[in-house]
Formats: sequence, structure tokens, C-alpha cells
Amino acid sequence: MEGVAALVSFTIWVATLATLLILPPGLAVAYALARWEGPGKGVVETVLTLPLVLPPTAVGLVLLELLGRNGPLGRVLDAWGMEVVFTPKAVVLASAVMAFPLLVRSARSGFEEVDPRLVAVARTLGDSRTRAFFRVTLPLAWRGVLVGALLAFSRALGEFGATVLVAGNIPGRTQTLSLAIFQRTQLGRDAEALRLAGVAALLAFVAVFATEAVTRRRGRRVRA
Amino acid sequence: MSLELDIRLPLARFTLEVGTRLDGASVAVMGRSGSGKTSLLEVLAGLRRGARGRVVLDGRVLLDSVARSDVPPEQRRMGYVPQDALLFPHLTAEQNVRFGVRPGRASRVDEAVEILELAPLLRRYPATLSGGEKQRVALARALATDPALLLLDEPLAALDVALKERVLPYLLRVRDEARVPMLYVTHQLGEARVLAREALLLDQGQVRAAGPAAEVLGAAARGLLTGEGEGEENILEGVLERPDDGGLRLRMQGGLSLWVPDSPALAPGTRAAYAVPAADILLSIQPLTGVSARNVMTGTVVNVEPVATGEDAATVEVAGVRWVVWLTSASVRELSVVPGARVFLAVKTSACRRLR
Repeated sequence: MEGVAALVSFTIWVATLATLLILPPGLAVAYALARWEGPGKGVVETVLTLPLVLPPTAVGLVLLELLGRNGPLGRVLDAWGMEVVFTPKAVVLASAVMAFPLLVRSARSGFEEVDPRLVAVARTLGDSRTRAFFRVTLPLAWRGVLVGALLAFSRALGEFGATVLVAGNIPGRTQTLSLAIFQRTQLGRDAEALRLAGVAALLAFVAVFATEAVTRRRGRRVRA
Repeated sequence: MSLELDIRLPLARFTLEVGTRLDGASVAVMGRSGSGKTSLLEVLAGLRRGARGRVVLDGRVLLDSVARSDVPPEQRRMGYVPQDALLFPHLTAEQNVRFGVRPGRASRVDEAVEILELAPLLRRYPATLSGGEKQRVALARALATDPALLLLDEPLAALDVALKERVLPYLLRVRDEARVPMLYVTHQLGEARVLAREALLLDQGQVRAAGPAAEVLGAAARGLLTGEGEGEENILEGVLERPDDGGLRLRMQGGLSLWVPDSPALAPGTRAAYAVPAADILLSIQPLTGVSARNVMTGTVVNVEPVATGEDAATVEVAGVRWVVWLTSASVRELSVVPGARVFLAVKTSACRRLR
């Protein structure tokens, strides 16, 4: 059982890191989509949704091709002496990419709820665009952002397809809970796999319950 | 205050074109709904892209599309109060008022809270405030930043707003005590007359008239605004006094005083503003004696202008105060109410309603 604690903490670590990693770019993209109207918006939206609908293994394959030692990004990283494929970094990256659309969708609808005229008023009161974002838009959209982050975190917790392609399934190195369940089943250690599935269910329950709690309170939100 | 405007802004149905120079400390902007008033304020605040031309406030160029300069809204020092107040819903009234205050820069928070009587409201959230209270908080929020010019858009439902919800009495205090120049969008001729030194009339985006309020806010303004379905009001401001023999009177500049409904809550010496509907005043060409109305005044007709079919507005000057009286065109003919005629006005005490 000593392996289970390590598996759980590695999985949570991966999901946390992945979520934090996508938070800045995710919020920027979500805000841009909420406010910007222009040609090509539909294409951008579709591309950003792709990781949600593509088979995760396809996303993993693309990442592998990009980051592999001969891939365009991999070569650059290699020059800096950084290796990503089949390392814990790859686990985080795969989870981050898969979780990104969930964060963007939820944060975006949060931003869309904020009246842009409130931002205009903030600017007449001396706020720059950036300052107004942090003092008006973000505080008013925080539920959407938080729900998005929790959804992204939950997604990252259970990521399998993309991870297994780009990070492999190396016990003690790149193995998360979902990868471990697969491996134990392959080895015929069904009872162990089932226990891990129980642990995963518990983690998922906590994450989803938190999301639901935040969403429920949304209805009672005080509005002017 | 000196404001030079020469702007063009294409709108959906017409182009807003305003070229004028305003020097009064308070300017009323009037026009029908959708005549470009709100757009004008937004251009001044720097919130409208696509405006061409020049805006110069007290010698400072805020917009010059030829020189490609466009000062961003946060550096314009405009105190913008939008129609629907637009308070920040996640902040208390006090946090709203302090929103624009920066360390090391002038702030007028205490003064704003005092003038707008916000002390009891400071800890409340916007969702719990009435329309008039929200408007006062929004006004204080703008005033607190020590703006070079206040831009006030009249509250949305101003036409029907209950008298006690009007912000006019506060605006008078802002004008006289805080002494901040203001540009005020309104539908109410009476309010504009009492508040503004200058007026700007907009029609379909074009300036119909601009200049001293007394000149502009006559027939032209009335012609533009009729059909908006509201009656005209006389707004009277002064100091309350309580004579020894009872009752409550409003003493105005020039010495004229008006009996107003008594209420123990009103202390003598307080400044107050009252509204008297132009249609609620009785005009006679003979001295009025033995009438129940307590306010009987003698004055001279300044002019008579048509309001709508069958109705005229007579302006009557009584001891320096100009009263607008609505009467039917038939009465005007039969009584021969003409400029220069000596007439008598009677106003029932109950027709005088205190603002706020």
C-alpha cells in the first residue's frame, strides 16, 4: 500500500501544476474571446475546443511529434538541455493541454457576464485596462474562473490517453492514478486496480463536489 | 471652466456634430431621447472610439484626431455619472466612493460623502440601494476623484422618478459647495433652468442652440422637448423660514417668498428646493383677493410661447424670479396675456412639493 500514497500525491501534484500552468494563458484567452469580436473568432474558438473533442491519444500523438527530440519544439528544448518526453514534465503538459479548453470555456462565460460599461466607468475613475481587469472584471467573474479551474483540475486528475503517449507509463516516474489502474489491470492485479479506482473516485468526488458547491451559490449571487 | 468642442461621431441613424465653446460652470444638455446626448458625454469621457475632431478642456487637449492625440479615459479627469449609476456590485457604497482615490493625489471623499449625505449608506451594497441612492453614490464616486468636469447623465427613469428620489437638490449643492463644473443631461426644463448657466440643445446629433441658459431654455427647448410627454415644472430654491405667526416659507434670492407645506421635520435656515408644476398655477389679469391660495403674487409677462396644440406657456417675472405658467391658448386670447402685461399669480401651498 505504500505505493498508493505516492501515486495519489504525484497525481494531485500533476493536476495542481497543470492547472496553475494554464491559468494565466487561459484567463487571457478567455477574456479576449469574451470581449473581442472580429473575423476568425469562430476558427479560434473551434481550435481551442479541439482537445475536448479529439481522441486524447490523437492529442498525445501531436504533442509527441512536437516535443520529441526531432520535433520542432523538442529540438529547441534539447538545445537548452531540457528533455520533456517520457518525463514528469510531459505528464503535466499533457494534462494541461487537455484541461485548457475547460478552463477557457467556463472563465469566458464568467467574463461575458460582466457589463463592459462597468469597466468603462472604472477607467474614467483612473484605472488602466489592466488595473480595471483586476479590480472589476476578475472579482465579478471569479465564480466562472474558479469553476473553470476546478473543472480543469478534475480533468487533469483523470487524464490518460494523451499522457500515456507523450509520457509513457513509467511506475515511480510518470505513472499517475489512471495510468496505474490500467497497468495493474494489464498485469491481472484486479483487486489492486479496483482499490486504486476507489481512491480515484474519492478524489474525483471531492473535486466535483467543490465545483458544484461553487456553482450552486452562483444562483444566490447578489447583483446590482 | 472652458470647454471647446468640435467633434464628429457617426452614430446609427445620424452623425453627432457638435462645434461649440462652453464657459459656464454648469451646462445643461437637452434634447429628445436618442438625440446624441449620452454619446456626447461618452466622447468627452473618452469612452467612444471613432470620434473625430477636437476636445479641449481648460487649455488641455483631450482629443485631437488631426494630431492623433487621444487622452485615455483614465487620464482625462472626467467625473462620469452614467444614466443607470453603474455602481460596482461587488463593492460597498463606501468602496465605490473610494474607487478612484489614489494615494498622493487629491481626493474629496469626505466632502462628497457629506454633500451627498451618504454616511448612513456607506456599508451597504448597491443591490440594497434605491435608484436615487445609487445615483447619489455614483455622483460621490465621481466627485471624490476631484474631477476637472462632472459629466452627468440623467437617471434613466427621470421622467417618472418620485420627487424624493431626484438628485437635483444634491446637484445644486455640488455646484454651489463643491464648485465642480458640470455638464448635465436632462429632460426637465425646470431643472435645467435652475441648475445651468449655459445650455446646449441637441436635435438628431446637431446643435440646435447653445448659449446662456435663460436664452436657450425658452421656446426652442420647449419645441424640441414637447411630445416627450411630460409637464413643465418651476423649480425654486431658497432658504426655509418659519414666521412667528406659523407656517413655513421658502425665501428666494431677490426676497420673494413662497408658502410651502409645513412639516415639523423641516428646520428654518435649511436650504431647500421645491417644484411647482406650470399647469398648477392660476393666472389672473385682475388683483386676486379672497382666494384660498396663500401665495398670491404680482408680476409682469415676459413672453408667451406655444407649447402644444391648444396650450401656451407664459413666462412671468415676479421680483426677479421667472415663473412658467401653462394656460390654454383660448385663455391667453380672452385675457390678452401679452408681454408687458401686469398679471397676478396664485399658487396653492399644496402645489409646492419639496424635492427629496
